Amino acid sequence: MRIKTSLPSALKYQAVVIENAAREAGLDFFDVVFELLDARAVNGIAAYGGFPVRYPSWRFGMDYERLQKGYDWGLSKIYELVINNDPTYAYLVSSNSLLEQKLVMAHVFGHADFFKHNAWFQPTDRNMLETMSQHAARVRAYIDEFGQERVERVLDQVLCLEGLIDPYAAVRNHGRDTRNAPRPEALSDRSLRALEALSGPPALRLEHTAAPKRREAEHRVPTFDVLGYLEEHAPLEPFERDLVRIVRAEAYYFAPQRMTKVINEGWASFWHSRLLTGGLLEASEIIDFADVHSGATAAAPGQLNPYRLGLGLLRHAESLGHDLFTLRRVHNDVSLIDALVDEEFSLRFHSIPWSKRQDAIAQGFDWQAFKAELLRQLSGGGQPRIELTGLAGGGLELLHHHDGRDLELAAAQAVLGNLRALWKGPVSLVTRLDGKVLRLEVDERGSRSRPVDDGAGASTDGE
Amino acid sequence: MSAPLYRIDSDHSRFREIVKGRIRRDLAKYLTSSELIGRAGAHSVSIPLPQIELPRLRFGDNQGKGNGKGDGGEGGPGEKGEKADGQGSAGEQPGQHILEVEVDLDDLADMLGEELGLPRIQPRGVRDLETEGGRYTGVRAAGPDSLRHFRRSFKRALLRTVASGQWDPKSARIVPVREDFRYRARKSAPKPDSSAVVFHMMDVSGSMGRDQKDVVRIQAFWIDTWLRRQYKNLDVVYIVHDAAARVVDQHTFFHLRESGGTKISSAYELCLAQIQERYRPEDWNVYPFHYSDGDNWSARDTETCVNLLSGEILPRVNQFCYSQVKSAHGSGQFKKDLDAAFDGVDELVTVSLADRGDIPRSIRAYLGRGR
Repeated sequence: MRIKTSLPSALKYQAVVIENAAREAGLDFFDVVFELLDARAVNGIAAYGGFPVRYPSWRFGMDYERLQKGYDWGLSKIYELVINNDPTYAYLVSSNSLLEQKLVMAHVFGHADFFKHNAWFQPTDRNMLETMSQHAARVRAYIDEFGQERVERVLDQVLCLEGLIDPYAAVRNHGRDTRNAPRPEALSDRSLRALEALSGPPALRLEHTAAPKRREAEHRVPTFDVLGYLEEHAPLEPFERDLVRIVRAEAYYFAPQRMTKVINEGWASFWHSRLLTGGLLEASEIIDFADVHSGATAAAPGQLNPYRLGLGLLRHAESLGHDLFTLRRVHNDVSLIDALVDEEFSLRFHSIPWSKRQDAIAQGFDWQAFKAELLRQLSGGGQPRIELTGLAGGGLELLHHHDGRDLELAAAQAVLGNLRALWKGPVSLVTRLDGKVLRLEVDERGSRSRPVDDGAGASTDGE
Repeated sequence: MSAPLYRIDSDHSRFREIVKGRIRRDLAKYLTSSELIGRAGAHSVSIPLPQIELPRLRFGDNQGKGNGKGDGGEGGPGEKGEKADGQGSAGEQPGQHILEVEVDLDDLADMLGEELGLPRIQPRGVRDLETEGGRYTGVRAAGPDSLRHFRRSFKRALLRTVASGQWDPKSARIVPVREDFRYRARKSAPKPDSSAVVFHMMDVSGSMGRDQKDVVRIQAFWIDTWLRRQYKNLDVVYIVHDAAARVVDQHTFFHLRESGGTKISSAYELCLAQIQERYRPEDWNVYPFHYSDGDNWSARDTETCVNLLSGEILPRVNQFCYSQVKSAHGSGQFKKDLDAAFDGVDELVTVSLADRGDIPRSIRAYLGRGR
């Protein structure tokens, strides 16, 4: 489903000019399709993670309400929305000024180039718009067949587990087959029938009909891909299994965006700044540009601004003589920070001049600690790392790789409850709380937590 | 363009539906707790619904434990306000804040009505409606000389003189022209059937403790919510009394703590005076509520109260409600006296509450008659 909104000619002209400048500068991207929408519509699309065609869920309605409220109250505003697809879609907000649109468009070409060339995005589905609408069609068909309540319940249960995938699958399987790639989805007979009825031939790609390979060996425990394990081994109804498959495919699609937030935003900001100040701005626009740009890349107290950090890192890399195009191809946030953060960068990032270095150190400035903290925050896309480590007595045993940050216990227990409901057997999670190793268990009798003596269970990564 | 919006609208209304279902399910809890009070605005109340969010595995609050912090200024990677969520990751950061949803007070009132089976209030009998009988509170640019508003007219003339540069401080003279004149005008009064006034009268003598006041507060909130749904225009008057009574604002009403004796008649007299002066029954539907632990100064004062009620107040009101909240020291005698004096009188409702758990029952008693 395409959204038909044509750009007004002034913007169309700018889009062409900026695209040419971007290509000249060496950026390379799929075709970029800009759509101009009002803020309400952009909030609606943002609530769906950028995909207006996504499957129906109240959760998106909730996100929409939140975004809309933030907008109505003037607290937050979405400037731009880009989706990783071929062609790349970008939504512009109609209330923005021409200068803001120019900046956003240049920014978008940066993202589009990043999507196309960054290693972590290589396995992602470039036809995700189409895939998402197929997912949506399937979910709608299930709702028609099994009722909204039932489908919603299962979908909610699965969505709680959205984060239980292996974001490093791409590296882990390097040189092997590409099972991490949004895998050719083996459809159940029933869903195939539903699909045929609904969407006709295009949905039935060749891969879908291929007989599923034996995956027993592929999904040996331990694995971080808990959703994948569930999809294959949990005792689920065909439609439930398909819901797991849908959620998992979309989670894998979005995972690289979490892992590359800093470098991706940095890359896009680097290029919007370079392109616009490289001759695309009218003299009268310079001040406004500086205002908008510095607003986006400002240091916000209590928050890590990925725009600021990413831009700072890339400029630092440039000053060190790195090839930026190589950096954007091979790195995610963690590896980029690991490679580039040094004392000089840390000082500059904190606006400490080199001459004041000794004073800052005396006052407790420690660039290595700063770096370690950044790495820790961004590892695993900012999410806890959970591994499926074993199967005991028909139960799933999960391990939280503790990195100094405890889990929120109540939420963890609720998630385990949902996992149990899908697995239909006991589940447990070993984690650490306040320095003590703890084992959360959920079975048909309820949930409880008890301390574990050995302490070897929850190893500590990174410390 | 319309398709995606249509979709988000249907997901959004599904979300609202779930929210309402959740509130309806928890209504009994809200009815007996003070959770919603203080969260209500003019037209809506914001209700925290932490349990509606899908649970995720996420980090708790001990971020950065056991690690030298490089910088206090930078926290976790989170949502950034302005230029947020570039590539479709909107809403992927699970909310650090508890989700609060806005619910219309009208919807809340409807849920209350459903839960307690409250009838809609029947309009009082048709009366001759002199809707134009309002007071001269407005100002217009045209009117008879007898209604000319000197001060407003002078102000206009002064303004015009200064603005047009004719103002001479040495000979300060203002000559009005026709356009300067302003005249008093009547504002038409709202129809009687669309206006109501609630009197919340509370005994604040020493024996009413925090628990008792909470019970009062919660009852008052739900009563107001329901009546506001029934009437376009609702005034609320708060009266506190110990041995003497006075009108106070809402905050004082709920937080004042007095000590000393109790003379209930003082409150009833004040209420009556208010009705006579400001809320004439021809224009207003009147709902006095009195909250007390049932102690009165003397049997004689109780007698005064009974006489006030039967002779003056009851004929002027839709319904008078007496709510007796059990306290450690209260004797509860006043309810017995009222019940004895007004057996079988429809306009008077008395309820005694042991604790918060009785609130739904009391609300049903007050509002269940549809008066």
